[in-house]
Amino acid sequence: METRRQGLSLMTALCLLIGTLLVIQLWLVAASLDALYAGDVGVLVPAALVSLGMFAVNGFLLWYGADFDRRLKRVRRR
Amino acid sequence: MADDPDSNEQAPRWRRDFPIGWESDHYVSRRELAKFLTLGSALLVGASFAIALVGKLRRAVPASAARIPGGAALGIGESLLFRYPTDEDPCILVRDHEGQLNAYSQVCTHLSCAVVYRPGEETLFCPCHHGYFSCGEGLPTAGPPTRRLPRIQLEERAGELFAVGVKV
Ligand code: FES
Repeated sequence: METRRQGLSLMTALCLLIGTLLVIQLWLVAASLDALYAGDVGVLVPAALVSLGMFAVNGFLLWYGADFDRRLKRVRRR
Repeated sequence: MADDPDSNEQAPRWRRDFPIGWESDHYVSRRELAKFLTLGSALLVGASFAIALVGKLRRAVPASAARIPGGAALGIGESLLFRYPTDEDPCILVRDHEGQLNAYSQVCTHLSCAVVYRPGEETLFCPCHHGYFSCGEGLPTAGPPTRRLPRIQLEERAGELFAVGVKV
């Protein structure tokens, strides 16, 4: 049975994971800009695709959190 | 709220009267933070694709040849400013002490100040943060810049000097 305490740990972990991926995405944007100015345009699309992949992971993590939230609300209503 | 200490029967009366559900509070704020971070992640994906698009568009525009007035007659140890491939791209043409003509983008690869020619030292110098580039290759030799200056490709046609392309 889901509890708020579990939820708090889960949300903290989600924030940390999403935050870490976000920092990597931020680094990717900075590196892409640098590559663009250096004329190294070949790496831009792969970098954007990696960033998209990270967003997909973030989306999944958020969905997992939202799903937990729904289950928690159901348990609390009972 | 079974897991909330404020609603626990063992809790003191004041706590039951004025319950502050810290756990619930943190839970909600972290849930919202996770949403906010994911939104930021989406924006960064957008930024990455926008940069990739700019890269594609830049590559798609072929630079056409443009005459550099007075370029062929440039004396040794002299420099000349011109614009290429568009009117917004300042460039510098230099004839070094060996008589060799070299042209580069004038935009410093550190933070975009304009580089100038220093004939005595055979270098291109950026006064903003004291960046130096070699005259022959446009390579950074000192100071903060880490990338070379884009080279403007030159061609002589019927005694006139033409810029024909940019090599980054
Ligand atoms: S802008 Fe040229 S050295 Fe900083």
